[in-house]
Amino acid sequence: MAAPVGCLAGWGRWVGSSSSAAVTPRPWRLFGALCLLRLPRITQPLRGEEEEMAALMGQIELEKSRYSDHEVRKLEEEEQLRRRKESSYDDDEAPGKTVIMAQDLEDKWEQKLLQFSPAPRVTDADKKDDRTSLNRKLDSNLMLLVKQKIGNQELWLLPQVEWQPGETMRNTAERAMATFLGDHIQAKILGNAPYGIYKYKFPRAIRTEDNVGAKVFFYKAFLQSSDLSQAELKKDYLWVTKDELGAYLKPEYLKKVNRFLLDF
Amino acid sequence: MLPALLHSELVGTNSSSTFLELPKSFWLLAQTLRLLFSGRYSSVCRKSHRTASFSAHVIIYLARAQPKKKKKVDVRREQAQKDRMKKKIKKLEKAAPELIPIEDFETPLKVRSLPPLSFEETERRVLLMKKWSAYKQKQDRAEKQAIRSLVEAQQEALKELRLESEELYQAAIRRDEGLFPFEREGPNYTPPLPGYDPPEGKCIDITKVYTQ
Repeated sequence: MAAPVGCLAGWGRWVGSSSSAAVTPRPWRLFGALCLLRLPRITQPLRGEEEEMAALMGQIELEKSRYSDHEVRKLEEEEQLRRRKESSYDDDEAPGKTVIMAQDLEDKWEQKLLQFSPAPRVTDADKKDDRTSLNRKLDSNLMLLVKQKIGNQELWLLPQVEWQPGETMRNTAERAMATFLGDHIQAKILGNAPYGIYKYKFPRAIRTEDNVGAKVFFYKAFLQSSDLSQAELKKDYLWVTKDELGAYLKPEYLKKVNRFLLDF
Repeated sequence: MLPALLHSELVGTNSSSTFLELPKSFWLLAQTLRLLFSGRYSSVCRKSHRTASFSAHVIIYLARAQPKKKKKVDVRREQAQKDRMKKKIKKLEKAAPELIPIEDFETPLKVRSLPPLSFEETERRVLLMKKWSAYKQKQDRAEKQAIRSLVEAQQEALKELRLESEELYQAAIRRDEGLFPFEREGPNYTPPLPGYDPPEGKCIDITKVYTQ
């Protein structure tokens, strides 16, 4: 958060509450933020060397293998057909006995495969570049970004909520998710410890002795419920990949976030 | 009723004994039929007047007469049979048990016939392997770097949290019991088809079961 011009309305409430009590006022405000990841649903396409290597591995396997039962049967039947054509004698087999050739089986299987059409890997949401849908970019991680008001600026952030005394940081992160997505969403938070931290000082206009700045602790979670139709998303939200984060987040914030995001 | 009686009597006898009894019964039958036609046994038949049922009555009398003679012969014959079976069992047990073949180790004798590799092909393969090892090395280094940066970021976050409050820090470094066992289905090649009804199939198990 690079220097927003401060508005005292938000901070005043906090300053008031800090003067009560036995609790020694800490100069930093604490926030818990959640990086909610939708895991990839399909495999990534093979890159140049990977494709060549996969083809080579298949070839080597074929060379080192022996014939399977199906192949042995196919070879025998081809031999039989060839012999029958060359010598053209009546078959030894009893008349009326219908034999299914291995080649026929293969043709039947081929037909069946052609009849089946799987779902497309590049979905509609990909084509329209609809960033609010979860069906986009099925081969990479998508994370949730929400537009929040900090100071008097509307910024795109990972959903965050202020820490309240009496709860652990992880609970704060869970509350952040519940605030933005509602209660029915299932997500697995990975552990009790935060993955990253973003520390910033408030602009001089608002800074006081007791209120120097804020620390945002990030937690990582995997989204487990597959459809979000029940989610009550109140504000603007986006599901973006790691590469697209740069378009939305501020540079300092982005640097801290990138440290704990794996690269896909 | 008559066929039932006949059947019960025949079942009661041993299979081996009926072989010898048959000629006897036929001889007796022949005798009685002679007597029948001579007219002396007409008093036996009371319920019916037909000759077929009359002869059936006679057969019943013959069948009932047999078991009394069979007992000793049967017992001896049964004993002989049992001894023969026991000898056979002993012979089989003495012989070494046949080994159960391991189907996984049996390979077909015929080897795949493919044309031999050309010089260019071998060269291409070697060069590709070298490129591949370099690619994999880069990938491995990148992964290790990512893990290192992940751990660093977490350590920094925990340090800051400790500065803030000791109890929050202690809560954060506690082990998360609900995290493991962690289960996740891996990605497939295509996304799931909505409303797809997989066809039902039958699985016929043709594994050969060997007993010793």
